[in-house]
Amino acid sequence: MTDVSALGEFEQVVLLAVLRLGDDEAYAVPIRDEILRCTGRDVSRGSIYITLDRLETKGYLRSRLADPTPERGGRAKRYYALRPRAVDALKESRRALVALWKGLEAQLA
Amino acid sequence: MAVKLPRGVLGLVRMLPRDLREPIAGDLEEEYATRLERVGRLRAALWLWPQAARIVMTFRWERTTRGRPLPPIADEIRRANMWDSLRQDVTFGARMLRRQPGFTVVALLALALGIGANTAIFSIVDAVLWRPLPYPASHEVISIGEQRLRENRTHGPVAPADFYDWRRDNRTLSAIAAIEPLAANVSGDAEPERVRGITVTAGFLDVLGIKPSLGRDFLSDDEIPGRHRVLLLSDGFWRRRFGSAPSILSRKIMLNDTSYEVVGVLPASFWWPTMPDVVAVYPAQGAPTRAVHSMEVIARLRPGVSFDQARADMAAIGRRLSEQHSQENRFHSPHLYTLQGSLVGDVKPALLVLLGAVGLVLLIACANVATLLLAKATSRQREIAVRLAIGAGRARLVRQLLTESVMLALIGGTAGVAVAASGLRSFRALAPASFLALPGIARVELDTRVLAVALILSSATGLLFGIIPALTASDQKVSSTLHEAGRGSIGGARSSRMRAVLVVAELALSLVLLIGAGLLLVSFRHVLDVSPGFEPQNLVVASVVRSGPPAPALMFYQTLLERVRAMPTVDAAALATPLPFGALDGRASFGIEGRTGESPIPVRARPRLISPGYFATLGILLLEGRAFTDRDVDGSPDVVIINVAAARRYWPNENPVGRRITFFSNNRWLEIVGIVGDVKHAGLEQDTDPEAYLSYRQSHFAGMAQRLSIVTRTRAPLATIAPMLRSVVRQMDRNQPLGAIVAMEDLIAESVAPRRLNVWLVVSFAIVAVVLTAAGLYGVMSYLVAQRTHEIGVRMALGAPRSRVLALVLRQAGVLTAAGIGIGVAGALAFTRSLSTLLFGVRAAEPLVYIAVSMVLAAVAFAAVAIPSSRATRIDPLSALRQL
Repeated sequence: MTDVSALGEFEQVVLLAVLRLGDDEAYAVPIRDEILRCTGRDVSRGSIYITLDRLETKGYLRSRLADPTPERGGRAKRYYALRPRAVDALKESRRALVALWKGLEAQLA
Repeated sequence: MAVKLPRGVLGLVRMLPRDLREPIAGDLEEEYATRLERVGRLRAALWLWPQAARIVMTFRWERTTRGRPLPPIADEIRRANMWDSLRQDVTFGARMLRRQPGFTVVALLALALGIGANTAIFSIVDAVLWRPLPYPASHEVISIGEQRLRENRTHGPVAPADFYDWRRDNRTLSAIAAIEPLAANVSGDAEPERVRGITVTAGFLDVLGIKPSLGRDFLSDDEIPGRHRVLLLSDGFWRRRFGSAPSILSRKIMLNDTSYEVVGVLPASFWWPTMPDVVAVYPAQGAPTRAVHSMEVIARLRPGVSFDQARADMAAIGRRLSEQHSQENRFHSPHLYTLQGSLVGDVKPALLVLLGAVGLVLLIACANVATLLLAKATSRQREIAVRLAIGAGRARLVRQLLTESVMLALIGGTAGVAVAASGLRSFRALAPASFLALPGIARVELDTRVLAVALILSSATGLLFGIIPALTASDQKVSSTLHEAGRGSIGGARSSRMRAVLVVAELALSLVLLIGAGLLLVSFRHVLDVSPGFEPQNLVVASVVRSGPPAPALMFYQTLLERVRAMPTVDAAALATPLPFGALDGRASFGIEGRTGESPIPVRARPRLISPGYFATLGILLLEGRAFTDRDVDGSPDVVIINVAAARRYWPNENPVGRRITFFSNNRWLEIVGIVGDVKHAGLEQDTDPEAYLSYRQSHFAGMAQRLSIVTRTRAPLATIAPMLRSVVRQMDRNQPLGAIVAMEDLIAESVAPRRLNVWLVVSFAIVAVVLTAAGLYGVMSYLVAQRTHEIGVRMALGAPRSRVLALVLRQAGVLTAAGIGIGVAGALAFTRSLSTLLFGVRAAEPLVYIAVSMVLAAVAFAAVAIPSSRATRIDPLSALRQL
């Protein structure tokens, strides 16, 4: 069984945002916007970057430098995409949470 | 639309991990651009900066709290560690300095004095010796003098005929010009005024590379004799006398009663050593003389021409002239210097000596602070040992101790800059006038270059005095220190040995400085003891330049002399030019009757025009024959009086009285009627040249005859006699300006003022050095006595008398002092050789000076150890024994 505790809450949020955006769209700016849109949380850019970097170290994300664009003063974007073990980890996490939530809908509604 | 991130934001981004810099910068730029469009520049900027800062802070916080580095971040860690630990060292060091205020204050004082003195002297030396002259490409400007080795002249004035030949024949110079001083009365439009001036040939401004700020430069046509004379004004003179009137061009001005047309105004930045108010054109003469040497010559090298090429070119011209004019030029040759070299050559040795002296003071201050640090280190032994025990590397410890030292030095250096600033202010106020004519003196200031040197000096000083204590203190057998009381431990012994070595070094350096000061002081005394050849007390002189035709000028001078002699409180008066210690004069060749063929030595003398009564007024000894009388006028037989130097040189085996000579320029034969004693005209240190005195009423050297000075011997003080003289002149002619009225003694004092200043400075530095050394010796001896308290107690308990204890301590001090003096004497013998150009009447290895100075230092050392040694004798044996 995958060790779910290796993923923190915010790390899961970031992974889900990356997944929602898809491979060619997920760089820091839209990731943050997606998190804001879905959760209403205005997270700091610094924590986004740190988390993305940490997730890449742990092997949940891979990144690539795209071509520079003139709109960004000629600077490249770093796009992120999920690796398979991240998907597995997210699935496991969801399974565990759903199991724990069962029967409590009425109380936490 | 692409916007650019501000440089500061990019700087912040550079603090992030390398592989994230570009994407993050790009993201920021993207959002910044969006915001710019939406909310405007100000709010976008107010968003951008905090965002960038927060991103950077997050990364740094992450690193310090999580500990695990994010890749690739290893280099970030290393740099952060270095900055962190430096910050730590600085804070710790500051705390240490605050905790020991006594030590800190003493050390800062020594450092401030040492660094401050060095900064001040460096700024003067830099401005005078090393900054280029204020002319474009000033290294191309040279001075050409005449070398007359048989007369011991390397770089003397030039004869006009030689100059014109040089100008015509040279192939390596783009411009060449001659300069002569001009004593001028400006009159006509306003109050007559005596001004400083020079008269120059047409290429003067070309040589300097300067253009007038108004009007035009001289043209070669302006030199044609008979043409209307032209003039350039200095900027200051134009403003002062003519109110900066733009209509000054083409205006006519009376200069020495001759009309000159103003053709231009010099720029305000124009600099020339004599700072002339007016620059007149030098009119070419029909038959320029080759016998009278009166010109200063400067030139500019042609582009691409080297100094050596120019030298060879001029040497060839000189050889040709010697052959063509063997009578005048036989042993002459042109001699080239850079203009800067010729202007500062005289003061260079003195300035370098000052720099050396002040460097020694700094070294002594360093040694002093090092001994203080060593003393402090022994009290920190425990702290250092603990830090070593918990794993601080020795390098880390040494770095921390060095940081403290450098901090101390930088603070001392900052205080030193303040010391230097006030020192420079005093220098400008007290410097003799001849110093202030040096190039660059006006630019002496604490500018960026000097401050940079002060910064480097402070840092180097900190490292220098900090390295030995840092290495000594950090090298300890940890366990022994932790277990023992500290005194008598291995670390303590090594440190006290080091302190003794440093004190010996201080003693040696002080002795070198003291001996140098002593030699200069003795030289100065010798110079002052030189008799000028006349009685300078109670003599007052004033220069009176009389323009107009010669005959009325002569009458004027005669009447002036009579009226001055009739003034109350005037004992005697006379006319003369040039006067001793006055402006420089030229030499003239003369021929001796009956001597044909070439003379083995060039026959030349300095001509002087005088009135009857001159020798009596000045108190010059008449050794043979007679002085001039009122009968020596035009029409009577031409007469001349020579000095002893001329008699010895040209008539070594006979009495020259009765012989005749002629100055080639006027072709009249003069009979020698008297011989007078030598007078020091050029300076107390100079040898006397042959001199020939002529009667001013026998119209020789017409130019000189209207530039006479009046010299009076008077009992009245200067403040009383000066207005009386002025009123006499004014009564005779309202429009006749008078030059400055000065006392002869002041002129002599002014002539030795540079030497006096030098001596005063070196002696002051020597005193500072000795005080520092005495303090260092006192400290070391106190420490040594404290260290040996136990041993002394034992000795006294065993019956040793107090006198034996005293002898013990004094012997220890004596060994240190003797070692210091011995090394110092050896050092002084080596270094004082470089002083030889500055010494007068004393050798660099003069034994009396060495012995006297060594005794002084030994006495100071003795005084410094008096307190510690008397403390030693008052040790109570019982309490000393108890300190086990």
